[in-house]
Amino acid sequence: MKIALFSDIHANLPALEAFFEDLEHRQVDAVYCLGDLVGYNIWPNEVIDEIRKRGIPTIAGNYDFGIGRSSDDCGCAYKTDEEKAMGKISIAYTNEAVKDDQRAYLRTLPAHIRLEFQLNDDKMDVLLVHGSPRKVNEYLFEDREEKSMIRIMEQAGASVMCFGHTHKPYHRILSVNDEDGGLRYLHAINIGSIGKPKDGDPRGGYVILTLNPDSSMREKESITVEFVRFEYDVEKAAKAVEDSPLPNGYADMLRNG
Amino acid sequence: MKIALFSDIHANLPALEAMFTDLNKRQVDAIYCLGDLVGYNIWPNEVIELIRSQKIPVLAGNHDAKVGVLEAKGAIEALGKNYAYHLINDVNRKYLRDLPAHIRLAYKTADEKFDVLMVHGSTRRNDEYVLVDTPEEDVLAMMTESNASILCVAHSHKPYHRVLKSAAANYLHVINTGSVGKPKDGNPQGCYVLLELTATTSMRDPETLNVDFVRFDYDVQAAANAVENSPLPTEFADMLRKAY
Repeated sequence: MKIALFSDIHANLPALEAFFEDLEHRQVDAVYCLGDLVGYNIWPNEVIDEIRKRGIPTIAGNYDFGIGRSSDDCGCAYKTDEEKAMGKISIAYTNEAVKDDQRAYLRTLPAHIRLEFQLNDDKMDVLLVHGSPRKVNEYLFEDREEKSMIRIMEQAGASVMCFGHTHKPYHRILSVNDEDGGLRYLHAINIGSIGKPKDGDPRGGYVILTLNPDSSMREKESITVEFVRFEYDVEKAAKAVEDSPLPNGYADMLRNG
Repeated sequence: MKIALFSDIHANLPALEAMFTDLNKRQVDAIYCLGDLVGYNIWPNEVIELIRSQKIPVLAGNHDAKVGVLEAKGAIEALGKNYAYHLINDVNRKYLRDLPAHIRLAYKTADEKFDVLMVHGSTRRNDEYVLVDTPEEDVLAMMTESNASILCVAHSHKPYHRVLKSAAANYLHVINTGSVGKPKDGNPQGCYVLLELTATTSMRDPETLNVDFVRFDYDVQAAANAVENSPLPTEFADMLRKAY
């Protein structure tokens, strides 16, 4: 079974459209969206509508959670005063732009989706969250201490944990001791960002997860993870920011990834 | 948010197509299939491929899981009721073997957490029935054990919505999706469910969750004739016409 996972579109319609086009060429069996549909660009309603009309199961990101409740707090961890000032403009702009029906949709998104597999007398839970299982806006970076990552996953009962929020894709395999003395492998997967990548590559990114039904969590290869990057009209998305009341800094971020 | 739930298609392509025609007229935000795509009729491949092409998340029903079990025992006979499984091609058999057992949607509101748990039979087994008259304490025990506030089940082909009061004085919901392609409640029309959550949805007030059962017409005669013109037991055709 092939599952496509995408997130962090952030109102970037050209990137979302390019993603759907790329996806059409690949045979996937299911698609899930891990949140942050809105913020930082001019197409929040269009992005919501495109995802909704395809009936794609979606969870709430921190930005969706804020806008769904007309809050002026997106739960974003801005560090500098300049970032904070820019963030204020973005959330005010997004709150103004998002229409009632689209806001109601954001408000009723679930926090997590869990797929509970029972294959080959083994259980495997694939947990989809936006930030972490504990908080919608917790960042799980690649360099997080192994012990901490394992604890988060075990507490949440996740064999495979997929998340977004940092906009920096990675796949990390962690091994834990099994009850019968062997090893089990946990997978932590950050799926990157469709519309606001932050890993130096301005192309959009998403993940295709392939489950191997003949395998189990005792083998590393029970799942394979493919990071797909696709081109989109970055200039169009950056220009849209510059032609709007949004801070121009967000346009540069799109150009530089 | 409107969520469509359907199940128990049982290789009945005319019924599935009619369901999608009906569903396309309604604005739904997500669609889930609670399993049993195959068995009892001649279109298992077409049903799997139609659902797959729409990328709908699907659970494994007991009939879907049975295909792998039968296959492991050797060849699946081309006669009698196993003909329905014999028809399934290798690619689609592999698809059925990969399906998850349950899907869970975890909701968090300002002051409440509740889980929508989708299973085929019960939370424990894919071939256990959770019926409208299953003793309340058994259903509550199952829901507590699996941490489900809204339990969506299939398998019995008899749709219902039942509200139970939990020990914590919350209102819990059990919803049976009925059957798209093999109803057993005396009504031969296909059936699926629309679940609606709003900003006010809370387990403290049972009226804040909307559950609609949609019935739709389909060409029952075409589905019944297909059974009769195949090596399948002709009783399967009668069951479609009379919905038992």
